[in-house]
Amino acid sequence: MKARMQNSSSSAALLKQEFLKKWINGLQTYTNTKKEMTILDRKNAIKLSADIAIASTRNFSTNWSRAVMADVSKNVDGSSKIVTEKILGRKETCIIKCSKNIMRKSRLLAHRRRAIRRTIGRTSVKAASAIAKELVKKRTRVLKRLVPGGKQMNEICLIKETLDYIASLQVQVDVMRNIANAADHQCLDSTERSLL
Amino acid sequence: MAGNDTNVEPPNAPNMSSEWQVTGNNTTNTSIGMITIGNPTVEISSCSSASMVDSFCPPIWDQPINGHSLGYCDMNVQNDASTSSPVRAGTVWTPNAVLRENMFMPMLPNSLPHFPADSGFIERAARFSCFSGGNFSQMVNPFGTHSHLGLMQQPNEALIGNASKRVEVSKEGSLIGEHGTEGSPFKNEKKNEIFNDDAKNGVDLSGTQSDEAEFSGRGGQEESSGKGIGLKKRKRTEQKTVHNENNEAPQPPVETAKDANEIRQKGDQHPSDPPKEEYLHVRARRGQATNSHSLAERIRREKISERMKFLQDLVPGCSKVTGKAVMLDEIINYVQSLQRQVEFLSMKLATVNPRLDFNMEGFLAKDILQTRAGLSSSLAFPPDITMPFPPLHPPQPGLIQAGLPRLGNSSETLQSPIGLQSALCGGFREPTSQAASVWDDELHNVVHNGFNLSAPLNSPDLSVSLPGHTKAEPHSDVEVEGLYPGIVCNVR
Repeated sequence: MKARMQNSSSSAALLKQEFLKKWINGLQTYTNTKKEMTILDRKNAIKLSADIAIASTRNFSTNWSRAVMADVSKNVDGSSKIVTEKILGRKETCIIKCSKNIMRKSRLLAHRRRAIRRTIGRTSVKAASAIAKELVKKRTRVLKRLVPGGKQMNEICLIKETLDYIASLQVQVDVMRNIANAADHQCLDSTERSLL
Repeated sequence: MAGNDTNVEPPNAPNMSSEWQVTGNNTTNTSIGMITIGNPTVEISSCSSASMVDSFCPPIWDQPINGHSLGYCDMNVQNDASTSSPVRAGTVWTPNAVLRENMFMPMLPNSLPHFPADSGFIERAARFSCFSGGNFSQMVNPFGTHSHLGLMQQPNEALIGNASKRVEVSKEGSLIGEHGTEGSPFKNEKKNEIFNDDAKNGVDLSGTQSDEAEFSGRGGQEESSGKGIGLKKRKRTEQKTVHNENNEAPQPPVETAKDANEIRQKGDQHPSDPPKEEYLHVRARRGQATNSHSLAERIRREKISERMKFLQDLVPGCSKVTGKAVMLDEIINYVQSLQRQVEFLSMKLATVNPRLDFNMEGFLAKDILQTRAGLSSSLAFPPDITMPFPPLHPPQPGLIQAGLPRLGNSSETLQSPIGLQSALCGGFREPTSQAASVWDDELHNVVHNGFNLSAPLNSPDLSVSLPGHTKAEPHSDVEVEGLYPGIVCNVR
């Protein structure tokens, strides 16, 4: 278990570096483009770059990363495209656009599938097991909402994607937190100095 | 045993027709048992279970018939790709009808040099009649021999196999068609031949001979391998066996009617699951249903639970949790909290860094340091570490290094109040410093009151306030803003 943790931590470190590089890459597009940005804009920019960066660390082999990119490319906002290109390169941006169509189609299929299932009808059994199943189903639905691209996955894929997504989120949060803390320390020190 | 008449006729009954009508349980089981993914083994077990149901009450021939039905099931699945409908029809047959009609005659393999025929057959029939009496072992043993007489033996073994209801799971998902490569015992070969002919004659399957042979061989092998009470006991400990059953030597089928009955009763049929896309060899545990759908469901459930175990490792605080619902709850909370953290941190960074300038070098070095520190909780100071945030203030390596130990501190609780305070202070660089001092006290209190970046991820505070903050436009109420540096942006 320890060895496994160590292995995972070292690979996590690599992931963190990769994410950081891509993230900063994406952010650099903003330093040149706009001068006046509200905090909210900045926050969105940071978040967007971070999301694209973390999704790209998976090389889009996972559903959720593709879904994230599909959502990003949905935005007609030009800045997102710029960031995407910056982080990924031109080739992949085209791939992302193709995958967006794929996602849309799979979404339609999923809708049809779900419609069919609903028409089959439900029995209202009130056994404990049925209640438990209902709970599980509810939570699965919530999880599907949370994980990007989860709506079109069956349960097995969902859990697999959730695993990957959680790991990536952890990486993202760690890096961002470290950067934020570092920034904070700098600010703190400097403001201390200035106040003194 | 509804619908089973005790029509035991010698195999060479003249009135053998190629029509098969399986009714009753067989129908339901076998038809349901057809997994679209083409899991022949599952199909086998379903067929066998059905046939078991039918077979026990009536004597003798039912068991061989079961074997036949098993074989037909095999063939059905095997030829799934090629002919589905005739196969299905083929599975629908009453044991008795089969017996009556033809059974073993069509099953007489053309390739078999000779069929020991009626005499031997009748002998076994006689022996089988003792089946329900629990003397099956007697009958079974003779079948462990190599011989074409094993014709009956195979169905018998198949029967026994059905009773034990074992299907093996091979995660490699090897196709059933690969059975031919497996080391199948002689019986299986014979069975293949027999079933092959059977299939040809009776069911009019268009599948290839080799396929059928392989399949039925596989089926027979599986059926015969899981047999016997002793075997059952041993295999009870096996949950999901990944190894191919091919390598196993077929075990002498030892089965009692009683066991088979028990197993039959325990079998339940689950609603069909969406078909999978690969062939899976599933080993049914003792006392579990071998209905194809329930098996598929079980596979699915096991996959899910396996992955839930990984999730348990990943999600903190889930090691003691059992049960899908609670686990899912924890996972949902964790994912939500992580997402909120991302939002919050990006907001924090937005406040801290007015121009989104990041010194790549500095950040990378810092990050390396931090990750290393996080991993080993020891500090390392990269020599080339430079000051980040050039727009903020001139490089101050000493400060950085002073700050790093704090960063490297494994207890993030220490960092976060400090970080928060500095963020608050940093964020105030945009507004006047007067406001900063005004806010500072109150926010300071707030910080110490409870905000903790590394707090339990599913802390309600974190989850409740953040989304509101990230979307909140300038407020002037500090209290409302609560705990987060998101307050800072409202200062403007």
